[in-house]
Amino acid sequence: MTPSQAQSTSEVRRVIRFVLAELWPKGPLLTPFNLISIPVILLGAGILAVRFVYGLGSVTNLSQSFPWGIWIGFDVVTGVAFAGGAYVITFVVYVMGLEKYHPIVRATVLNGLLAYVFYAGALVLDLGRPWNVINPIIGNSFGYNSVLFLVSWHFMLYMLTELLEFSPVIAEWLDLKRLRRILNALTLGAVIFGVTLSTLHQAGLGALFLMAKPKIHPLWYTEFIPILFLVSSVYSGLSMIIVEGTISHRVFSNQLDAAKHHRFDEMLLGLGKGAAITMFVYYFFKALVFLHDRQFDLLASRWGAWYLFEVLGCVLVPCVMFIYAVRTRSTGLLRVAAIWSLFGILLNRLNISVIAFNWQAAVHYYPSWQEIVVTLTVIFTEIWVFRWIVVRMPVLREAHELPRAASPAVRPSV
Amino acid sequence: METYTYVNIFETKGLEYLLLISFLILFVILVRYLSTPPSGR
Repeated sequence: MTPSQAQSTSEVRRVIRFVLAELWPKGPLLTPFNLISIPVILLGAGILAVRFVYGLGSVTNLSQSFPWGIWIGFDVVTGVAFAGGAYVITFVVYVMGLEKYHPIVRATVLNGLLAYVFYAGALVLDLGRPWNVINPIIGNSFGYNSVLFLVSWHFMLYMLTELLEFSPVIAEWLDLKRLRRILNALTLGAVIFGVTLSTLHQAGLGALFLMAKPKIHPLWYTEFIPILFLVSSVYSGLSMIIVEGTISHRVFSNQLDAAKHHRFDEMLLGLGKGAAITMFVYYFFKALVFLHDRQFDLLASRWGAWYLFEVLGCVLVPCVMFIYAVRTRSTGLLRVAAIWSLFGILLNRLNISVIAFNWQAAVHYYPSWQEIVVTLTVIFTEIWVFRWIVVRMPVLREAHELPRAASPAVRPSV
Repeated sequence: METYTYVNIFETKGLEYLLLISFLILFVILVRYLSTPPSGR
């Protein structure tokens, strides 16, 4: 064996030993979140086993009239909108060069990556024949004319792109300096590719509903759904960064010093400004579509009141809150506005995919308790993986920093 | 000879144009409003 081969072998052994050591749990196990999430995840795993053995009908309220429930409406359609922050923030930092937001790039990209893996992955749960999920990729009935063809390819490519964007963090964690340099050099290309993919498939998710014109209530159906989905994904992503960042900065505060906490508040105000402007644009798009389709008569009904609640209550109101919060530099109000706007996005996506879908049907769809438990399982599992990674890898802290006030036993050895 | 022509603001998409023009004006005002620090700070 040559010296270089021997060095490579010892490096591989070191990495394997390090990863195995990192697999052990760190920190207390009996936390309130663990006590709530573990039973839900175990129950959800059991329900999923039943679903894959006995089929969708055994655990869901889905039918031929309502083939898409909350596994699509919430997990996929809403989850992907919530993950929009990754493409927005990487564009802002790497393409526009606003380095001010660089400290939140890693956490946002990780959040986006996991959201796609879990929420877009939840698409498999909803397929009657889940093994066919590979067909658009391997060329068995490509279906070039289908929007789902575009969406499935984009989901797969975007997951790989986000993994590439996040890979320098993994290289830092494993202390692989040469690999890190190579991966860092690929970041800008990956970001541009990722932004292109994102803008297309955020709109593509909306385009999925274009073929359902007779089924969606006319107040929600428009040929501009793809544009509305794209624009709303921008402020949805920004709001998600505000909410997720706030929670991360509290839960993982030992990884951050006071200067970073202060800078984070400044960043929040910048993100809030972006969210306010995008919501303003979205609101006018909605108004324009409403005028274009001449839907005044439809407002005088319960559906009309529900529509006004979504557009005025969950778009205009949080938009005004964002504006006021930025002007008064109130980060507390900013966080409330972010949560409210996320609720608005959830409502909009559920209205189009579930609530106002087949609105004239005599018997309407409502999710079974098993569907709700599986949705919670997906969310909790993602949070578990996010926490596992943030505790170990240099996501919030710099690579050379170690968490403050942590005992040597729990310090990452990077 | 016809001396008066009734212009239907709905048929001519007049409302949409008005909305678009007001959007453009308000958009500029909003961006400037958010970009300038409040007085007294």
